[in-house]
Amino acid sequence: MVRSANKNELLPGTLEMLILQTLIRCRMHGYGIAQRIQQISDDVLQVEEGSLYPALQRLLVKGWVKAEWGTSDNNRRARYYTLTPAGRKQLGTEAENFNRVIAAIARVMRTA
Amino acid sequence: MSLLGETWRRFIFLLRRRRLDRELAEEMRQHAALKAHKNVAAGMDPQEAQYAAQRQLGNIARQQEESRQNWGFPFIESVVQDIHYGLRGLRQAPGFSAVAMLTLALGIGSCAAIFSIVNAVLLRPLPYKESSRMVHVWTVGSLFPEFQMGQSVPNMNDIKALSHSFETTTIYEPELKSLTGSGEPEQLSVAAVSSGFFAFFGVHPVQGREFVGADEEMKNGDIVLLSYGLWQRRFAGDANIVGSRIILDQKPYTVAGVLPAGFVYPQKTDAWVPLVIEAKWLAERMHWSYFMLAKLRTGVSLKSAQSEMDGIAARIARQYPEEASGIKFPLMTLQDAAVGQGKAELFVLTGAVGFLLLIACANVSNLALSRGLKRQREVAIRAALGASRARIVRQLLLESLLLAFTGGLAGSALAAMGVGAFRVLAPTGFPRLEELKVEPATALIACAITAFAGVLCGLAPALSSSRANLNLALKEKIAAATAQRFSLRSFLVVTEVALSLILLTGSALMVQSMVRLLKVDTGLRIDHVLTASLNLPKGRYATPDAYWLFARKLLDALRAQPQFSAIALSNTTVMKGGTSLMGLDRSTLAALGLKDETLNLQSRSVSPGFFETLGMRLVRGRSFDDRDVKGATQVIIINDSVARRFFPGQNPIGRIFKLGLEPSDQFEIVGQVPDTRDVSLHALAHLQVYFPLLQDSSNGRNFLTILVHTASESSVSVASLRNALASVDKDQPLGKVQTITEAIAESVSQPRFRAWLLSAFAFAGLALTLIGIYGVISYSVGQRTQEMGIRMALGAPQSNVLRLILRQGVVLALVGAACGLAGSFFLMRLLASQLYGIKPGDLPTLAGAAALILIVALAAAYIPARRATKVDPMIALRYE
Repeated sequence: MVRSANKNELLPGTLEMLILQTLIRCRMHGYGIAQRIQQISDDVLQVEEGSLYPALQRLLVKGWVKAEWGTSDNNRRARYYTLTPAGRKQLGTEAENFNRVIAAIARVMRTA
Repeated sequence: MSLLGETWRRFIFLLRRRRLDRELAEEMRQHAALKAHKNVAAGMDPQEAQYAAQRQLGNIARQQEESRQNWGFPFIESVVQDIHYGLRGLRQAPGFSAVAMLTLALGIGSCAAIFSIVNAVLLRPLPYKESSRMVHVWTVGSLFPEFQMGQSVPNMNDIKALSHSFETTTIYEPELKSLTGSGEPEQLSVAAVSSGFFAFFGVHPVQGREFVGADEEMKNGDIVLLSYGLWQRRFAGDANIVGSRIILDQKPYTVAGVLPAGFVYPQKTDAWVPLVIEAKWLAERMHWSYFMLAKLRTGVSLKSAQSEMDGIAARIARQYPEEASGIKFPLMTLQDAAVGQGKAELFVLTGAVGFLLLIACANVSNLALSRGLKRQREVAIRAALGASRARIVRQLLLESLLLAFTGGLAGSALAAMGVGAFRVLAPTGFPRLEELKVEPATALIACAITAFAGVLCGLAPALSSSRANLNLALKEKIAAATAQRFSLRSFLVVTEVALSLILLTGSALMVQSMVRLLKVDTGLRIDHVLTASLNLPKGRYATPDAYWLFARKLLDALRAQPQFSAIALSNTTVMKGGTSLMGLDRSTLAALGLKDETLNLQSRSVSPGFFETLGMRLVRGRSFDDRDVKGATQVIIINDSVARRFFPGQNPIGRIFKLGLEPSDQFEIVGQVPDTRDVSLHALAHLQVYFPLLQDSSNGRNFLTILVHTASESSVSVASLRNALASVDKDQPLGKVQTITEAIAESVSQPRFRAWLLSAFAFAGLALTLIGIYGVISYSVGQRTQEMGIRMALGAPQSNVLRLILRQGVVLALVGAACGLAGSFFLMRLLASQLYGIKPGDLPTLAGAAALILIVALAAAYIPARRATKVDPMIALRYE
């Protein structure tokens, strides 16, 4: 589950999308992904480890990310996740859906 | 595509589970380390930093578990887990598993076997196109109301002209012909059929052509169609068989074709010839020799067709009162005709086997219930650890399905063996046996029953176990928590006792009826008498003189064999069900003062020596001798029944008896013999007259039975019989040679088979009941150990304790026996028609069966009761 800083839950399925988006530029390990999401969102979004790893397993099973062992900057063994072509495609669809929903919500918020 | 890929990946993950598990654990450790590292960077004390990281990460084990749930197939895996668990459970209780499995295998196996036999024999349609619309059109007349006869030509023409129910009709006449030429002479079963016969069944020859109208007018000479079996067996499947000649009854026939494999209608037929009806029968209304088949029009029910037939019969009866008074044309579907007597038999077996399955299920339920009670604590612990009720019920159900499935597997094997054994052991003449084979249907049926039995057996204990009061169970007050469930177990045991008592009475009645039948005094000498039948070629002994000459030569040849101490010929079989009847005409009846009765006599034509061969002593007068031939005074010998019926209180010897329509049909009674049963064991002695074979010209001249009395029944005697026959006619095949004792055994093979099978079921049921009672009583002894200890500590003698436990078993058995007796009382009536010499409500039988059940119950209760008396009070008191 991804929580915003004031403990509100986000739309379901958002975490997977965020993970895929984070991996779009380079491979990353689990801790890195969590840190990155937190950083970019200026600490608004905090990824709980309890949902991060199950989500990563789901993405692996779906074939959207690949995992391989590597060495981190500070010379530790870490498991790196890479986006697969299928994952990239999935990210495209999910981002499009997400944008449509957000735009719709924004329209409702403007007029109502 | 993506779903396929996903399934594939899940599968791979499943296989790599161990490695993935390790990797996930390491990944999360690294995660924690990184977090701690960051905390240190933020200025925390390293130890504190680590704790904080772990706190933030939360329950790692749980997260791993949640992650893991995304791999593989979680639902299937949990089921697999349950199966593993169930198997482990079954392994841990080998005694329970073995008994339950055996019980189920027995119930399922016998059920599947009998059901597949029922399916093959009763339910599956005959293998002909539109066979459900095919019917026999019989004739039943007032003269021989108990016989179904064929049709006469004029009646058949009237039926065809007046009825609207039939689409097509066809006729046939079965006969026997001897095939000679190359190899041993062989008797073939042949059907003379009308030209539409094969079209009626929708079969076409695989070689050559079928019959056409011109064949019936003999325009193409004598032609014959062969069965596939005969073609293969006798002619090695010769490809050039069509057009070749074979010799039937000493006449050459041209082979016109071969029919497809499997077609043997009417009965194991080897060959078919065109039916040529002799001119003299064309207008004869009382020559009921032709079997008529008809195909109902679509939409016409059997019932409406029958009512039309009744109308036509009434019309014919009115029009020809002399020849057709009281005539009826009953219709019977071909299926019913093919199954015949087998139907009642199979219904009884189906019922019996259904009972056995119920007993088996009750037994397994009972076993599973006691096991469920023993596992109460385990279930309670699982529930306390958070297993949902659904999951527990699922697991228990799976366990019983597992049991049922393994039982079903063993049962299927048993069923296959059973069907195989049935084919071998089934009485001769059992219908459609040639079509019976072990089929996938057997396995399917077994599986369906398995699933049913599994759910039935699993549900009661599963529901009752999962409802257990957690609190009580955990405190080990099992006795308190389960007290109310004892009634269910008792109910199951009572049901078992009742059902197995019903099975027992059924089989006891069958066995007794069998024994009584075999004990019947036939009045004949049946040991050391060999019999064999001769089917004489039609037309070979066309005139009475030729026939008599053959018989006389045969008698002389047989007399010349030194090891035969007595010999005789008869025109019908002995103890093989063959008989011929003659009606008494009205003038004879009127002369005897019996005006309004229809009476028929059994008649038999015999050679001199007949009574001596069969050990029948004469009551009065003389036996037949060589002087009773054509031209001498026409004589007969009567039995006691005839003497009593027609000459009460008088000496019949020398009296003249009129038998037949012609004025010359006057016979002098020269002897009187006792009543015997020479037709079959069942058939009561009838009014019987004997004619001299060498004088009586009214016989059909195509059949003879040889009877010889011999000191030994060895193959030497059979060879002498063959030699004697060959010396008279080397082309005449000899039928099966058997002793009369063997013929009797064959004639009762059907009831004997049924009695055996039912007894087997009854004893299986009894064994299961024994196990059931034993289970219940030993469970209750186990529960009452403490109580027994206290009783004995307070001074109760062992005999008291013993009696206490035994009483429990006896009460259950008594209640069950009472229900079973009531059930038997109603159900055994259904057997009445299949019993001989014993009533379905026979008191000694019912009482005996009930006593047997009670003894078994007592024995089953005794073992645990003994155990109870051996309880050491000190140990029992320390029990909790």
